[in-house]
Order: sequence, then C-alpha cells, then structure tokens
Amino acid sequence: MIGLTHYLLLSGILFSIGTVGITTSRSVLKILLSLEILLAASNLSFVAFSRFNGDYAGQLIVFFVILVAAAEVAIGLAIIVLMYRRLATIQADELKDLKW
Amino acid sequence: MSPFFFYLFAAILILASLAVILARNPLYSVLSLVVVIFSLASLFMLLEAFFVGMVLLLVYAGAVLVFFLFVVMCLNLNAQAFTSVQQSRFRWLGGLIGLTFLLELFWVVKGLGETQVMAASSVRGTIEVIGKILFTDYLLPFELTSFLLLIAVFGIVALAKGSLKIVGDVEEVQQRRENP
Repeated sequence: MIGLTHYLLLSGILFSIGTVGITTSRSVLKILLSLEILLAASNLSFVAFSRFNGDYAGQLIVFFVILVAAAEVAIGLAIIVLMYRRLATIQADELKDLKW
Repeated sequence: MSPFFFYLFAAILILASLAVILARNPLYSVLSLVVVIFSLASLFMLLEAFFVGMVLLLVYAGAVLVFFLFVVMCLNLNAQAFTSVQQSRFRWLGGLIGLTFLLELFWVVKGLGETQVMAASSVRGTIEVIGKILFTDYLLPFELTSFLLLIAVFGIVALAKGSLKIVGDVEEVQQRRENP
C-alpha cells in the first residue's frame, strides 16, 4: 500500500537531484531547469499532503506555484537571452561584473 | 490505486530528472524535463488532484517548456559550450550537499514510523471543487496572481526592448539624475 511516506520520500529524492543540479552546473539555463525540478518536488509534497490530510489548500498552493513559476521562467529566460547578447555565453562564471 | 503505477511513474520521474542534470546537450535536458512534468502529472492523477494535474500539463509542458526549447534553439549554442559546463570545479561539493540532503531525508523518514495510509473519504480535486474554493476563499491571491503576470509581461517587454541599460553608461545616468 502506498502511503504518505512514499510520496514524501520521492519528493525528497527529486529535491536533492535538483539541488545537485543547481550546485554542479555552470550553465545558467541548466540552473533554471534544476530550479524547475525543485519546484516540481515541492509541488508533489503539497499535493500528497493535500490528499492525505483531506484539505484542498495544498492543491490551490500548487496552482499558485505553477503560475509564479511561469512568470519566473519568462523573466529568467529573457535575462538569459540578454546575457547571451552581451557576453556571447551563458556560463554563470562569466557574470563577474560585481566581483571585487 | 495500484502501487504498480506509483512505482512506475516514480521510477520514470527519478530517471528523467537525473537525465535533466546529466545531459550534455541542453535540448535533451529540456526534453527530459517534459518527461518529468508528464510523470509528475500522472502522480497527481493518482493522488486525485485532477485539475492541478491538467494545469501542470497545459502550463508547464505546453507553455513553459516550449518556451525553454524556443530559447535553446534561438540561442543556437554549440555543443562545445556545453561540454565545458560539465567540468565545474566545485562539482564534488554539490554532490556532497545532495548526498547529505538525501541521507538526512532517509534518517527523518526512518523516524516517522508507520506510514499514513490514504483516507477513505477521498479528496477529489475536480475543476468544480477547486474552482469554488478558488473564487471564494482564495479570491484575493488569485487576483494578485493576475497582477503578478501583468508585471512579468511589463518586465519582459522592458528587457526585450533594451531600454534598460544594464551595464555601463554611468555618466549618462548621472547626467540624467542631475538635470531631469
């Protein structure tokens, strides 16, 4: 029988995969993709809690998270395109204007 | 509610998300993320969150990831730019962080004891139920979300028009500040 723990475990595994992706990749595009994995992991645990506790609030929060993520991706990709026009690369290491 | 489907989609989810972070070609990363979103939506269906699952498919797989693909193809990055991506100096540190997180997680789950089984009185997230709650209890957040999307559109237009000087031209900004 599949319980709440199974879903939470899956969500945690997904979250750690996303964390590894963010910390190890140098491409800004891949960091954004790993961020999507983190959001997916948190969405999964929200829906699982909603189902097992009999409360619809979790599903509504997931709805809002999806909308906010759409806005975030749109802005993030616009910034990536601008960065590519300026620096001709999308490596995060090349963003060193604020380095002292 | 067969356990078989849970394990099937969980396996697809984990493998596809590993493919996202391990793929050398960014195109394959984005396409693996589409698989991630599809299996996540299937898990939502197993959890009887029908509306949220469909929104996930439509908004994520339909719009956001197509946008990702569009940008990846628009930038036309060569493969060489991505092979060097893999050799990050602090790669081992990231792996260590992920491993620590995973071990901590298993430790917490082990302490949980008996797993909570699914309640008999099922919570079915159909469009009717979710819509009713969305337009009564969560009306203000819903309207604020539309405002957020409007601001996002403004931001993208401002970025795309190039009217924002991001770097340089310090003198120009100072001049403008002195005589407006």
